[in-house]
Amino acid sequence: MLNIHKNFLFLIFSLVASSLNGDEFAFPGKKPKALDFHALVGADIQIDPKKRIKQGTLLIRDGIIQQVGKGFDIPSAYRIWKMEGKTIYPGLIDPYLLTGSNEPGLLELDHDQHVHATADLSFHGIPSTRSDPGGRGPGFEVSGVHPQNKLVTTFQPDGEKWKALRKNGFTMAHLAPSDGIFRGTGPCVHLLNENPNDSIVKKEVAQILAFDPVGKKETPSIYPSSLMGVFAVIRQAFLDVGYAQHQLSYHAKNPKTLPFYSHLGIEALSAVLKKQDAMPLWIESGSCLMTNRAIKLSQEFNLSPVLIATGDEWRRPELACSKSLSYISPLIFPALANLKEKEDWEQISLDQLRAWDHSPSNPALLVKKTKSLSLTTTGTNFNEFHKNLLKAIERGLTKENALAALTINPAKLLGTEKYAGTLEKGKFANLFVVSGESYFSKNVSIHSTWVKGTPFIHHVQETEKNDDGDINASKQKPDILIAQSPSKYRKPINKSASILFTNATIWTCAREGKMKNGEILIENGKISAIGKTLKGLDRSKIKLIDLQGKHISPGIIDCHSHAMILGRVNESTLPSTAMVRIEDVINSESINIERQLAGGVTVCNLLHGSANPIGGQNAVIKLRLGNSPENLLIKDAPKGIKFALGENVKQANWGDKYTTRFPQSRMGVKTFFENRFLAALAYEKNLTRETKLGIPQKKNLELETILEIIRGDRLIHCHSYRQDEILVFLRTMEKFGVRVGSLQHVLEGYKVADEIARHGAGASTFSDWWAYKFEVYDAIPYAGSIMHDRGCVVSFNSDSPDHARRMNLEAAKAIKYGGLSEMEALKFVTLNPAKQLGIDDRVGSIEIGKDGDFAVWSGNPLDYRSKCEQTWIEGTLFYEIKTFKKRDLEKAKERDALIAKAMHTLNSGKQKSVSQNAKAKFFRHSLETACDLFPHSCRSHENHKEGVHQ
Amino acid sequence: MKKSILLFILLVSPLLLWAENLTLFRAKKIQATPYNSYTPGQILVKDGIIVKIGKSIEYPKECKIVEWKDLEIYPGLISPGSSLGLAEINALRATRDLSEVGTHTPEVESWVAINPDSELIPVARANGVTHSLIIPMGGTISGTSGFVMLNGWGIEEMTLRKKVALHLWWPGHGLTFPQPHDKKDPTPKSIEEQIKERKKRILEIDEFFDQAKSYQKGKLSKDSNFRKMPSWEAMLPVINRQIPIMIHADEKRQIKAAIEWAKKRNFSIILSGAKDSWKLADLLAQEKVPVIYRHIFNRPNHRNSPHDQQFRAPGILAHAGVHLSIGLPLGGWSSANQRNLPYHAAHAVAYGLSREKALAAITIEPAKVCGIANHLGSLEKGKQATFIATSGDILDIRTSVLHMIMKGGKVSLDSRHTRLRSKYLSRPRK
Repeated sequence: MLNIHKNFLFLIFSLVASSLNGDEFAFPGKKPKALDFHALVGADIQIDPKKRIKQGTLLIRDGIIQQVGKGFDIPSAYRIWKMEGKTIYPGLIDPYLLTGSNEPGLLELDHDQHVHATADLSFHGIPSTRSDPGGRGPGFEVSGVHPQNKLVTTFQPDGEKWKALRKNGFTMAHLAPSDGIFRGTGPCVHLLNENPNDSIVKKEVAQILAFDPVGKKETPSIYPSSLMGVFAVIRQAFLDVGYAQHQLSYHAKNPKTLPFYSHLGIEALSAVLKKQDAMPLWIESGSCLMTNRAIKLSQEFNLSPVLIATGDEWRRPELACSKSLSYISPLIFPALANLKEKEDWEQISLDQLRAWDHSPSNPALLVKKTKSLSLTTTGTNFNEFHKNLLKAIERGLTKENALAALTINPAKLLGTEKYAGTLEKGKFANLFVVSGESYFSKNVSIHSTWVKGTPFIHHVQETEKNDDGDINASKQKPDILIAQSPSKYRKPINKSASILFTNATIWTCAREGKMKNGEILIENGKISAIGKTLKGLDRSKIKLIDLQGKHISPGIIDCHSHAMILGRVNESTLPSTAMVRIEDVINSESINIERQLAGGVTVCNLLHGSANPIGGQNAVIKLRLGNSPENLLIKDAPKGIKFALGENVKQANWGDKYTTRFPQSRMGVKTFFENRFLAALAYEKNLTRETKLGIPQKKNLELETILEIIRGDRLIHCHSYRQDEILVFLRTMEKFGVRVGSLQHVLEGYKVADEIARHGAGASTFSDWWAYKFEVYDAIPYAGSIMHDRGCVVSFNSDSPDHARRMNLEAAKAIKYGGLSEMEALKFVTLNPAKQLGIDDRVGSIEIGKDGDFAVWSGNPLDYRSKCEQTWIEGTLFYEIKTFKKRDLEKAKERDALIAKAMHTLNSGKQKSVSQNAKAKFFRHSLETACDLFPHSCRSHENHKEGVHQ
Repeated sequence: MKKSILLFILLVSPLLLWAENLTLFRAKKIQATPYNSYTPGQILVKDGIIVKIGKSIEYPKECKIVEWKDLEIYPGLISPGSSLGLAEINALRATRDLSEVGTHTPEVESWVAINPDSELIPVARANGVTHSLIIPMGGTISGTSGFVMLNGWGIEEMTLRKKVALHLWWPGHGLTFPQPHDKKDPTPKSIEEQIKERKKRILEIDEFFDQAKSYQKGKLSKDSNFRKMPSWEAMLPVINRQIPIMIHADEKRQIKAAIEWAKKRNFSIILSGAKDSWKLADLLAQEKVPVIYRHIFNRPNHRNSPHDQQFRAPGILAHAGVHLSIGLPLGGWSSANQRNLPYHAAHAVAYGLSREKALAAITIEPAKVCGIANHLGSLEKGKQATFIATSGDILDIRTSVLHMIMKGGKVSLDSRHTRLRSKYLSRPRK
């Protein structure tokens, strides 16, 4: 002490007086605390991802970097740490360390887990018999919405976990709350196992939002139990905040009114929606397409969130990535299972193999396609984290980017870049020291980690070192990505501004009837001419396609489909879920798009299931293969909603537990509709009054939707079976001045065909299904023709991804049962469903001015010997039989190559000691692909187990 | 003698509207076998049996003539497996009799529980299905099936053959993969464990048949301590090679294992279900294992498999020389849809199955599988006069089935559906 320069001493006391207070001056008997004066000498110093100093010196004083560089004197008070042959790195920062009870994990959305339930009839989504109180205490009354939760109020250092983090170079982390939809906030902390007060860097980092259908974890499930329900919850919450803000400003202006209290939840969310100094919003989306949805949602509410990547962005980088948003990615790569037999490998799908091969390339992809990438250890063990980091580097992630993703990028996201992330003077002395030159070497050994100047020296066991990596690494061939992008085989096959189809038998489904040796001219996606031999065309300038006598029919329109919906097709909890939207959960990646294009289908009406009287909003899409969910939508199609009657909504086949949700009888179904429609009218009255008085309006998404129906802006598509319920439903709707868009299934519609025709509802039925439950015992295959004869607009729908592949043959059943003409039968799957959906002005028949949507058949489309050979949508060829065959062959080759690579990887012993989690990941289906595993219909025997009827 | 036969027919088949001695049926076309047709064609029927068939045949003047100038005649269609009569409305437990409890119940017999008045039966008949094998379900060995005529006053009259086959549901050979979210089963069985279990399950089957064999020995020994046991009694026709075993299996490995097992033990088997059987078409042909393919309208195994994989499978099997029948998936849901049997077969035609093989797959091949091909499955001299008259190609959905003759007698094609249709067609227009 005597040798210390006076000035210097003064400096210490003035700067770090707080560290020499009473706490530091320990009572006798307590182990004395070391002085925090350290000089790290002789190591290479990686100042930041770019800058490196050879054999420099770094001075630490009281937790702060005092000086870093070369050629300065080391004051003698400093404890010298000789670090020749080592490298000092800025301490790593984990920006998304999930914290909570029960080993919290990243959200991995699943399509449905109940599908293999052994119960006789387990429905998608066990319905709620509970009301929906949300969490206890004040706040939003929806489960999972507790933005007011602050992890900082309760957090405790997690000794073992933090020790492990430090051992791996981590010094700082954002503790992210792990439970719910709006989860609240968590603090940013130093990874010190001391008094929590000393380790907090920032009390709140961001509001965490996760697309987690939390209600499905409850038994029975509560709202929201589906992915689409989650979006309705988020929208309603944001609307509630808007309302509260209006109220507050209204009351500020009108102080005489009773005071308005918003609740804690609203206050917390208001912080997110503030125009200035807003609380950042971070979104954990749970799947590739849901990341796209997160981006869209942010645009809807003018937010600029940080996104938690899933590692699946490679599936649709152009949809899941945004150059204006920052991403945090875990480093969980699937590990191969050691499958023994050829047949085991046959069980593995190309998609699973692709996921395995793509994963290590995903971080580099994120760097390229996003604003910035940060990495989190959440979901991996540390050994694997480092291994995977090296794999990612092998696949194109630069070391510089990798280091940035672990230091300055997360520091920026946490808002701590001023005092963390690099080894610059004045920043926290958060750093770690590795033996050798690089953190990015295979068997890196971390000598020590320093958190706020406190050294933690790691005693690396020699056994862990067994160094076989580096030398072999240079000999081993680099691992290159061989898997293809899924989009490769989903591109349009042919496209041209104007195309003339010649020599075709055209089933117009219009006044012209069937035209032999006809021609169709498509210009800019629209049908611009039809005729025998079109005149006035310069044929040399147009693309000609000679169909050699093949048949053209309008594209097939499926008026009832659930084939491309993500994360449950039912929000089965509440009896009215008018606020949920299929539009939020369209699966553009579904293989059903390919399969149905191959059956000539061009339009699908994607419907919510039939678990409740008032279901969700539908989405009418075109099967424009390879497009985004948004671009599948027919944007100007009339809006619609699913309603349902009968056994499903009264939970008749759900087992004895489900007897308490209203309605339980057909009496109650009618009562329920009246209630909700009157509620909507009362709501409207309130809105009008509030508008008049200029007081803030509380928007209710459920009632808004029902109001749209009453105003004629939204078509009802109502699942129905028995004649009495059909009639009563029509009468109930008539009372509210509502014309029903279509009755779905409507299997006893033939008994009340005149009434349906007079009401003007479409009848979208099955060709010949019956007897699968009691209310369809009177279903007859003649229903379609009887309703048709009595003036109803009749269609046949699929309600099944299987039937949807052969709707042309389903249509032929209208000839067999009831003797319709071939053209009228074909209209059952073309023009008539178009009418029911209100899109017959643009699709459904081959007429001038309509969209160029049609299928080319090898022969008469109603003949079993005919095959669909081409499917065109708006003048673009999406299915062509030979091209698809070729793609199948290429995919088979790709699969073989991937299996060969997998075998090689396993046999060469490259894959060693992988975690259970990584192995499980290999078998996991992404949300987008899992959706295809479920048939979603009662009409397939595959549903025998599930007994699902949508 | 003649009189007694006539009396017999009248007694046992009061439903037959006319059962004369001699009737001549004349039609635009007769599809006598899948490979042979007469255009025009004539069939002479005596006492329910085909006496002569051909393009133009000699017939006695006194015989009754049925003129179907514009119609085509096909053999009655045979469903190679259904739960017709055992399941009415699948969602209602009270109406389900299609499966039993227990893993080994060889003594369970399907035909004893058929409801002859099931509304589903006339609906199947309405589209030309005259017979079906009725298969018991549940467990590994579910019992024996019966071959029934889809018309009659009671089950004794309808059941043409009892104990057609013993039904063995081959244990699953697929791997079950660990699912990270599966909270119910967080520690899935390892791949090694699963391989062990797979082998064990086959050993269990072996053991059961060994026990059956020893029972047979015990019975033959006439030991005084020998006691009759119903389960083992039911196994005797199998052990004595009197009836075949129908093995229900879909996965390739299951099928392979089943074939090996049957070969080792020298059992004659029929493969049912057979989703992946097209991968083993040559082996199945070589081992002469008849296949009942039930997955034409199923979706391919993987999302990236060719979309038409299941449509093409029957063509691949037939091309390899497999004896191919086509059926619907088993279970309650498909009972109501047996009428669509011809369309399952038809769908494979656009994808490589010849029309002949498609017809065979729903007529003569299932008749062979059910051991009744001497009487049914085609229209040939000496066989039963059971056929249908249609407005055209039976595989074409636009075709109507207009008449049905069983054992020479006319059978009604009315059903719940036609009755309801008539009723509501007559509803005055509003």
